Amino acid sequence: MTTTNTVATKEGFAEVKTAKLSTLGFFMALPPVLLIVLFVGLPIFIAFLFSIGYTSGPNRVISIIGQDVYTKENWWGTAQAYTAVIKDERFWPDFALTMVVTFVSTFVVLVMSMGMGLYQRIKGGKIASILSMLSLVPLFVPVVIAAYAIAQFYNGVGFMRTFMAQFGIDFPVITATRNAIILGTIWTSLPFAILMITSGLQSVPNALIETAQDAGASFMRIVRTILIPLAFVPIVIAGTFTAIGIMGSFTVPLFLGPNQPTMLGVEISNFFTAYNRPQQSIVMAFVIFAAASGIAVLYIWANIRSAKQSGRI
Amino acid sequence: MAKRDNGLNLQSGSLITRFFIGAFVAFMAVFILGPLVWLALQAFSTTWTFPNLKPDGWTLIWWRRVFETPSMVEAIRNSFITAPIVVLVSAVICLPAAYAAARYNYIGRRVFLIGMFAANSFPKLGLFASIATLFYTLNLMGTMLGVIIIQLLGTIIYMTWIPAAAFAAVPKNLEEAARDAGASKFRVFRGITLRMAAPGILVAMVMSFISAFDEAQGTYLVGSPEIFTMPTEMYSLVLTYPVQIAAVFSILLAVPSVILIGLARKQIIGGQLAEGFQIK
Repeated sequence: MTTTNTVATKEGFAEVKTAKLSTLGFFMALPPVLLIVLFVGLPIFIAFLFSIGYTSGPNRVISIIGQDVYTKENWWGTAQAYTAVIKDERFWPDFALTMVVTFVSTFVVLVMSMGMGLYQRIKGGKIASILSMLSLVPLFVPVVIAAYAIAQFYNGVGFMRTFMAQFGIDFPVITATRNAIILGTIWTSLPFAILMITSGLQSVPNALIETAQDAGASFMRIVRTILIPLAFVPIVIAGTFTAIGIMGSFTVPLFLGPNQPTMLGVEISNFFTAYNRPQQSIVMAFVIFAAASGIAVLYIWANIRSAKQSGRI
Repeated sequence: MAKRDNGLNLQSGSLITRFFIGAFVAFMAVFILGPLVWLALQAFSTTWTFPNLKPDGWTLIWWRRVFETPSMVEAIRNSFITAPIVVLVSAVICLPAAYAAARYNYIGRRVFLIGMFAANSFPKLGLFASIATLFYTLNLMGTMLGVIIIQLLGTIIYMTWIPAAAFAAVPKNLEEAARDAGASKFRVFRGITLRMAAPGILVAMVMSFISAFDEAQGTYLVGSPEIFTMPTEMYSLVLTYPVQIAAVFSILLAVPSVILIGLARKQIIGGQLAEGFQIK
């Protein structure tokens, strides 16, 4: 025990020395860290304690107001709230819907933005600019408006049905279905992914592509062996941010999705306010967090990989 | 600097590929712009009977209706008070940290950036529910300060990461050369570092403003029923008012974002945003 401790301290000490520790830098960085610790870290920590049955202290008020609150029975707490959520018949359909929407939307967003990014990188020109301008439009639009506008577009008296009715086609009402959520999340997630991937692809030097081209490499081969590997980190960042954003989304499934099953983001809100079961609501938040953390690991791994390649670590 | 339109003309398009590309552009135009145009048209229409392609008549009455409804005017006012305050406070808190992250090697720099990201992966709604619990204890529910704190949290990631990348991109030897030429530390910072990092800071401020201005879920949970901003007003408006009112309100809500992103479009597309999201 003591030996490992000394080694750890020694290593830590060496690291500090090489890192040229700056007190000023440390204090300059402190304010946002404090803000995050106080208003993100602390609430999440308290909420976690609440989810495993610590119902006193800062959780006292909510424990009195809320229904079906389980109080800890062991020294470490209780898992009853978690079992209650898992056994709830609403949970698994919600969970499945959340995962399917996250997976499908992220996949489509990545394919679309890579297609458009590659087209812009390789062809360029007017059409490419028009496409990139178009795909950035959702960035201008608050998500509340976006979700509402999309709902109006595909509902019973929306444009799609109106337009198709001119040709005597009875276009289906898409709103209040899973597909509407997928449409909405793709719409709102596109700009970020496009920005990340396009700028990643733009940073690949022209000379590299031209050389490969002169050596007779085909289009697909250049994409596969040069462009995608060199823009790998931005692509992973785009994918992880998109997936995490979609997994916790609330407004889009609220406006566009069915009432039951719904995405967990909406169910968190339902359980917190409408059903007055705050503990179960927090448990669901931690379920999403666990899934999102799995995705976040990918992001960190990609960053470390790129840092290693460029010799920063 | 990303150069635009630097196509290589790798393939000359055949008629079929051209057709597919044209079809894709048309699809994207309908998919992206369609819902917005359709909603915007409602703001000027009297009524709309299905399945007519045109509304039954044109009118501006809904615009007057919005500006005559006190709760909506109040929401507009609140939005324009909170969002600028949030951006300023965020800049004061985060810009020094961004500079530090780019220039100094303080302990746990990488932990700081990764922690920021981890905070981002906790579902927003779960976080807001957790914060609400804390705000009850701190008496911040339904207050302006509570709303500002909630909106501030969403801006931190933009206000630290993007300027940090911009500060890091300022060449150190340029600063040193200015120092050698006799410029004071402050002058070097103001004249060189700050000026060269300005595009990144501008993008960060624009993104922060939009993030604060558009923040709905947390503001709703913490602010209602005392304080409504434009996005939270939308939640109740959608349920209780005709679609035309919601359409007018949507247009008003989109105006600041359109103007701001229009101004900073070059920098955003130029890679300032993308630069900021890589941990270095």
